[in-house]
Amino acid sequence: MKTVAKLLGAGVFAVLGTLPLKAQQLVVWHDLGDNGVKWFEAMSAEFAKTKPGVTVRSLSFPTDQWFGRVISALNTDTAPDLIYNNYERVIRIETQTGKVMDLKSAFAGVADKSFLGEDDLRVATFKGKQIIIPIQRVQMAFGVRKSWLDKNGGKFPDTWDEVKVLAAAFRDKDPDGNGRADTFGMALQAAKPRDLIHMLDLFTFGSGLRHTLIDPEGKITIDRPEHAQVLEEFLKTYSTYKFVSPDTVNHSFGEMYQIIEGGRGGMFRVGDWNVRKWDGANVLDGDFVSGPWPKFAANRPNSVVIGGMRGIAVPENSPNKALAVEFAQFMLTKAAQQASLENVGAAVRKDLDVSKLSPRSQYFAKAEHRLVAYDFPESIHSFYPELEAAFHRKLLSGIANPPADWKPFIAETAKEMRDLAAKLKN
Amino acid sequence: MRMRPSDILLRIGAYAAAGVVSLVFLYPYWWMLVSAFRPTRAIMSNPLKLFPERIDFSIFSEIGRIGGVDLWVYVWNSVLITGLSTLLSVVVTALGAYALVRRPDLPGFRFLRYGFLVAIMYPYMLLVIPVYIVMFKLGLLGSHAGIILFLALGPIQFFLFEQFFRAIPGEVIEAAIIDGASEAQILFRIVLPVAAPISATVALITFLLNWSQWFPILIVSKSPDTYTLPVALLSMNSELGSNFQGIMALAVLTTLPIAVLFLLAQKRVMEGMASGAVKG
Amino acid sequence: MTATIDAIRRGRIFYLFVMPFAVLTILFGVWPILLSIQVSFTASATALRPEPTYVGFANYAKVFADPIFLASLSRTLIYTALSVVANLAFALAFAMLLASALITRGNLFFRLALFLPVVTPDVAGYVVWRWLYDRSFGALNAFLDIVGLPAFAGLSGKDTAMAALLIAELWHHAGFYMIIFLANLAMRDRSLEEAAHIDGATAWQRWRYVILPQLRPALIINTVYALIQFLKTFTVVVVMTKGGPTDATNFVSYYAYQLFDQGRYGEATAMATILFAVVIVISMSAYLIGERGARR
Repeated sequence: MKTVAKLLGAGVFAVLGTLPLKAQQLVVWHDLGDNGVKWFEAMSAEFAKTKPGVTVRSLSFPTDQWFGRVISALNTDTAPDLIYNNYERVIRIETQTGKVMDLKSAFAGVADKSFLGEDDLRVATFKGKQIIIPIQRVQMAFGVRKSWLDKNGGKFPDTWDEVKVLAAAFRDKDPDGNGRADTFGMALQAAKPRDLIHMLDLFTFGSGLRHTLIDPEGKITIDRPEHAQVLEEFLKTYSTYKFVSPDTVNHSFGEMYQIIEGGRGGMFRVGDWNVRKWDGANVLDGDFVSGPWPKFAANRPNSVVIGGMRGIAVPENSPNKALAVEFAQFMLTKAAQQASLENVGAAVRKDLDVSKLSPRSQYFAKAEHRLVAYDFPESIHSFYPELEAAFHRKLLSGIANPPADWKPFIAETAKEMRDLAAKLKN
Repeated sequence: MRMRPSDILLRIGAYAAAGVVSLVFLYPYWWMLVSAFRPTRAIMSNPLKLFPERIDFSIFSEIGRIGGVDLWVYVWNSVLITGLSTLLSVVVTALGAYALVRRPDLPGFRFLRYGFLVAIMYPYMLLVIPVYIVMFKLGLLGSHAGIILFLALGPIQFFLFEQFFRAIPGEVIEAAIIDGASEAQILFRIVLPVAAPISATVALITFLLNWSQWFPILIVSKSPDTYTLPVALLSMNSELGSNFQGIMALAVLTTLPIAVLFLLAQKRVMEGMASGAVKG
Repeated sequence: MTATIDAIRRGRIFYLFVMPFAVLTILFGVWPILLSIQVSFTASATALRPEPTYVGFANYAKVFADPIFLASLSRTLIYTALSVVANLAFALAFAMLLASALITRGNLFFRLALFLPVVTPDVAGYVVWRWLYDRSFGALNAFLDIVGLPAFAGLSGKDTAMAALLIAELWHHAGFYMIIFLANLAMRDRSLEEAAHIDGATAWQRWRYVILPQLRPALIINTVYALIQFLKTFTVVVVMTKGGPTDATNFVSYYAYQLFDQGRYGEATAMATILFAVVIVISMSAYLIGERGARR
């Protein structure tokens, strides 16, 4: 039966005409969309200078499809040559398949890498294996619509109290002047665990705290007073304060961008990768300013957040493994990094030419503000994703039915998280 | 026959109800079409506008490449996959249904018919999951051939043919057998000529149904190289954001050809689908 | 035995005719189902390897101990029941309207309007509905706002998301059920209605006791089709809600797919097998109940 099917398949395939097989083509799967595709095209051209005849082809999938596809491809030995994504997503691929190659010796073979610090390498390592070579540091700032801000005093909000005043004004005072009450103080997201907790991460780290949910020793932090304050204000933003679109509980990044790019949100997250698009005439036309996340207490420092690290990984069953590793190493060279900065807006090298970038991109490229990095709990606690999912469910239920007093809710949540963490650890 | 005033009122009420429901059913199409020509910001500030501010086709060049693959590849895949799977479906199902109707007594034929019926009862999206494994084992993963072969079977096609062949009077065939015709001659000289209209109906319906397919294509594909338009439409989100106007433009491209085809052949399609279903 | 071989030999041309159909049915129908059942007894991590580890009913035990699955199963049944009733009631009402003497001109237009969504690619249709529903910039709420009605939470509300999906699916499917009712209505015996009319039956009585019983075939077919259809609801979830908000639309088919996507093949196929059993039992009982009613 198998032979018959093969013959049948081969027959139809012959009718269709097979695609010519390229001698040396590396395939990389990512989720960066068309700008990411352009970036890989630029790198492919550069790589061919030292490796004639080699082309690099990149394919972009929506993030959820990227997961399913990579996992099943690695499981069935139909893997692409390289995969590219955020470190925590590569960790998930590794835990599901165990087939992400250890790049430790490949990384050791890169001469020019002093710009990567200890934090960067910690993120790249999971259970003793270096699963990615870090390529793009992901910076996220707090953004405000410039023209709206100018109508409301013009001062970039530094503290949470100032943010609240502005958010109410943006919602109520028709900042876009179209005569309709159709604007929102902020644009956030909440649909999936990574959406809501990610937003909470930004407010938490941006205001000088070190952990969102759990510290490296495995202690739950959310009910410590300074953490509880951020969490409570954060939850009220979605509920009692009514600063965000009522749809937000169901919004993931796509819908969040819709609100921002549709010009209806006043304050929002600005990732370094967003700037290029938002500078566009049909989008925000550069009408936004970026700054550090607001402070919740006057005496704490606030910062722009390094919320992740994107890196290149090589599957164990990559068809052209040696060449794939070479390309992964190549991605740290100045030319490749410059292309990364220009196409996607992020890089890890510090010696790149930023003069061609817009002032809003330069804000990130020059790191004009204090930067603080995540604590990357998933690289320390392997049970973190499950804990985070439970935390997300709990917070969403709170947002859906806001309690009159959030403090008991937070205390109760902390207890549940402690119980769950203890259970998951075993 | 003169109408009474109460009848006239009733008639007005009936038209009003049917009219409102129809407009509600058609509105999404209009909104999709208009949105394809309006910048995202304009749609968001005034979603109800019935006409675009201006007619501007630049969005189609903006979505000229999606996910690293050219738009025309998706269009070509849609035409190729839908066209070939339709052709295959008509041939394979016609022959299969004919044999099963003529000789249900042959060993294995009952089993085959039940196997087919069970397979179409199986939750489709969950059948596709093991199909991934089958395609992997057959080495057809990521190939056009795998997708086309999978899309060639469908319940409505089978029921339509089965019903048609059952309706052919037994005397006609018996007379041919008495005249000494071989089974091949009966099939090609007697059965197939009369089966032309039903084959056209089946082809039409299969084309419409397979054009809409997305999940098996997504699963069997290894890369966007074999995606069709609906799958591309579903893949329009990336980590760096989504293009709302582009999504609407692609939705128009996906819908328009099929809507036109349907309107041209509406009678055949609606009657065919109704009788195919009634049989099943 | 020889008789069988003889039958096969004499019928060999029919085996030739049926061969392609048989190959496709077995390769892409029977085999995947058997494979799925086999995988449901293996450990996920080894499921795709040449020699998987068999774990007996462990995946089924895990699935039935999973509160999310149990919730999603009951959610699926509720949604199916609501959808079947809503779709059939709507389709029957509209078919009666079109089949009545009240609508003569423009009859075709109304049919086409309702049937067009059936052949429209579901992905494209649902993408549009998803945005029509949006709370902040959807046309639906903009319209409700203009006519002074309260906003519809749509996909963002825990309690309204299922209704929102139901409406979008009704848009896509109801035209199909409608034409089956119409086909059945066209075949009915009109003299019975005239007789009832002469006997002084009211319009309601004529509908209930004369027309409706004649629609039994269409009702049975539509019920079975709709049951199979809505038990497997999937595309609309993928496009519009991804199971959210807070699992309010996380039906079994979508949940199983999510697990598959995470490489949890054993549990995903166990769920597929369970849903398969549910589909067969429910649709078969609907069919048998309908048939028994017909004989009575």
